[in-house]
Amino acid sequence: MKYNYDKSVLKGLSVKPFLNQVKLRNQKISEAPEDMPVSVFNANRLAASLHPLVQHTKITEVTDFGFAKRFVLTADPEKGTSKMAFFRAGQYVSVSLQIGNATLNKPYSICSSPSDALNRENSSYTLTVKHSDSGYASSYILDNWKEGDRVDISGPLGEFYYQDLRDAPTVVALAGGSGITPFFSMASAIADGIEDFNITILYGSRKEEDILFKNELDEMVSRSDGKVRVIYVLSDEEKPGFEHGLLTAALIRKYAPEGDYSIFECGPKAMYRYENDEVANLELPRRRVRQELSGDVTDIEKYGDHPEDFADKEFNVTVDIRGKKQMISCAAGTTLLVAMERAGINAPSHCRSGKCGWCRSKLISGEYYCPKDVDGRRAADVKFNWIHPCCTFPLSDMEICVYPVD
Amino acid sequence: MSADYDVIVIGAGNGGLASAALTAKNGLRTLLVEKHNIPGGSATSFRRGRFEFETSLHELCNVGTAENPGGIYKLFQMLGADVDWATGMDETFRLICPPEGIDVTMPCGIEKFLGALEKEVPGSAPSMVQVFKLAGMCTQALAAMDEPGATMETVEEKFPDFFKYAGHSITEVLDGLGMPKKAQRIITTYWPYLGANADVLDFAIYSRMLAGYVIYGAGMPRYRSHEISLALEKVIRDNGGEIWYNTEITEILVKDGKACGVKIGDREYHAGSVVSSSYPDLVYGSMIDGEEVPERGVKLANSREIGLSFLTVYLGMNKSMEELGIDTYSNFIMPTTDSAQLQQAATGTHDYSGYVIMNCLNKLIPDCTPEGTCQLFFTTLYYGGWDDVTDPEEYRKLKNDTAMKMIRDCEKAMGISILPYIEEIVIAGPPTFARYLNTPEGTPYGYQVTKTDSFIQRQVEEKSEQFIKDLYFVGAASKRGDGYSSAYLSGIDAGKAILARAREKGGLVR
Repeated sequence: MKYNYDKSVLKGLSVKPFLNQVKLRNQKISEAPEDMPVSVFNANRLAASLHPLVQHTKITEVTDFGFAKRFVLTADPEKGTSKMAFFRAGQYVSVSLQIGNATLNKPYSICSSPSDALNRENSSYTLTVKHSDSGYASSYILDNWKEGDRVDISGPLGEFYYQDLRDAPTVVALAGGSGITPFFSMASAIADGIEDFNITILYGSRKEEDILFKNELDEMVSRSDGKVRVIYVLSDEEKPGFEHGLLTAALIRKYAPEGDYSIFECGPKAMYRYENDEVANLELPRRRVRQELSGDVTDIEKYGDHPEDFADKEFNVTVDIRGKKQMISCAAGTTLLVAMERAGINAPSHCRSGKCGWCRSKLISGEYYCPKDVDGRRAADVKFNWIHPCCTFPLSDMEICVYPVD
Repeated sequence: MSADYDVIVIGAGNGGLASAALTAKNGLRTLLVEKHNIPGGSATSFRRGRFEFETSLHELCNVGTAENPGGIYKLFQMLGADVDWATGMDETFRLICPPEGIDVTMPCGIEKFLGALEKEVPGSAPSMVQVFKLAGMCTQALAAMDEPGATMETVEEKFPDFFKYAGHSITEVLDGLGMPKKAQRIITTYWPYLGANADVLDFAIYSRMLAGYVIYGAGMPRYRSHEISLALEKVIRDNGGEIWYNTEITEILVKDGKACGVKIGDREYHAGSVVSSSYPDLVYGSMIDGEEVPERGVKLANSREIGLSFLTVYLGMNKSMEELGIDTYSNFIMPTTDSAQLQQAATGTHDYSGYVIMNCLNKLIPDCTPEGTCQLFFTTLYYGGWDDVTDPEEYRKLKNDTAMKMIRDCEKAMGISILPYIEEIVIAGPPTFARYLNTPEGTPYGYQVTKTDSFIQRQVEEKSEQFIKDLYFVGAASKRGDGYSSAYLSGIDAGKAILARAREKGGLVR
């Protein structure tokens, strides 16, 4: 092989320096300590404390509001959790539940301030569950959780929190029903000085008696130095001191600041459908409007592109877990995730809304339906046939590979 | 003792995926085990709102096209991995150093590159011609080193000048060629990709990479690097290999100096070979029975520093790159072009050094985000210095403040406006990388390259440094060091060695 590079440069170069470096290298290795290498590092420790796979807690306080209950979950050192992970106000956790034969995880927003998690002693999160929350997980929690019970939850999850490089200095929060919980956390964090932004919460309820945490919210308003405002909006009754009606564009305009603001929405699906039109009237740039997750994917009959004649069909789904196969049954109107949970399979899941990807599983064979508005898959996942079982409905018998965390 | 598998691979990063793909494709019973729920390690993607972000890949060298394939293109073709490559860039990089008044965009193609360098630094072209010629020789010689049974002697016989260059840094060789300093600074812009400054890095390795980018331009997978990972994953699956996610290997079984399996939970799985993406520090420190830990291996690990770590900012913009005024893919923005000074400024501190690399993927893949939007990716680097960040609130603030400075520096240097158009933002610091990669201090870069521990020296010593039989290290902590291409090649190295061993032991299983 011939190379016509300029050989004159080589005059000053020889192979000696390389050989010498090899020698130096070997010398350096010989002189290095013999102790076992360090295998725990600071960044890894910080990562583990911020993102634990599981947090073991004990219920230390239950407050019954009649229509809702509030649970304080305190770190359980006996099981190995000495401190709850720091979180951003607005984040959620997914709660592990064993209900009869079913094993499932259900997301709930943390409604306490991050300062409660930072407490050296009694580091805790607070979750609130309302009777009107749909689903049997919430009913189970309300009927069964009591002081002293042990509960396993995930680390903090979700992206529904304030980011000052992205969001406007003032957030107009639209809260529907128990959708108040992440905003309660944000308001607490502002009052505690952990977060620094203005929030005007438009809190929609049916009646005054349905309002959660009114006293606490009013108390936060008073100690927030004008940064937190709450406007209670009642749809089913007219009362002095309360706005009446729904969270309309006109109402948002009335309470929004002059100039730039962000809208954060949290509530039931019906509220999002309504607000999508109302907020559109405000003509805000897309980056100024953020919605929290929409919850379990149900009602496929509402999606026009789901084949109608499938409604009553039932399919066999083969679930392959690390080489061991199991056949379960799944109705056309049930997600693969729910079918697996009912069969007692500990399938991974967090958000149940198609977004977080924690349930990501491999499709081996079969046809399925995934509503477009909740399809949060990566482009390559679509190319290579990966699915999110939390928003995937069978259209034929199927086989999938699932990876429970053991 | 009958083996459950021929090969068990720990970690589905680039190295683990490539090795498992090769062994599965050649009929070995292969099990790939990954702690996370997704493959790729650094090579993945994530979604926020209407954006899907590239996590870590800046650009792949030596991709090329079907008509003019580079080494990486051929490698994926050989494995049968279906990646849709986006190539065809017309520039290599834009370098902006405001204090030195430099703002230069270097084109792809040898002739154009030479022309642009000559225009920016008159008189520099003749020495650059020599660099390209030497790069050709070094590329061939390095390829010869990869051949089975290659030794320093066999390579030297074919390329008698190679080891004369192998002991020299980029700066030493460029000085020898009489290249003007300013031109040296421009052509060494890619140094962070290899993790050390121009006074330290091997000229041979660097010139090969530079020539690769100039000849082939950057290559990127159309659907972020997650696509590469899934393409390799599919090769493993299609060839009968198994892949277990959300599964952690806690121990590597070693008996009489030979790896023979792994432990998952309380079950042992036996195998002829074990491939580890986990770093030797972790493997020796916590995954192997103390009596079997090799003394020299421990000393080698202890003689090294952990490689650099990164803070990256991902932005989804509600303006297109044209509206923002961006027209280059890789933008290197720095307070000085002296790479040794830059490395020094980033050493032992978590303070931002003022060095930021900004990539706009839309330049290469216009439809990687919806119409009227684009994604930007900012990177800054650290050599240690994050060991005192322990408070979560302090960490959050540090991340945000650093991101703000990086964005502002980029706005100023490029004369554009970014902050008012951010629709999505994610900031990843060393702990984020530590979370997903499980590497020491979250480094994606393996061990720090130094003058006495260069890539070529590591390669020359490779055979003598396999301390445990049938245990192969792949990925950034292996001899090839950091970078996607290096990691894939490290997996291929391990796969080939395992296949050779299998043949030695009496033929392939199937």
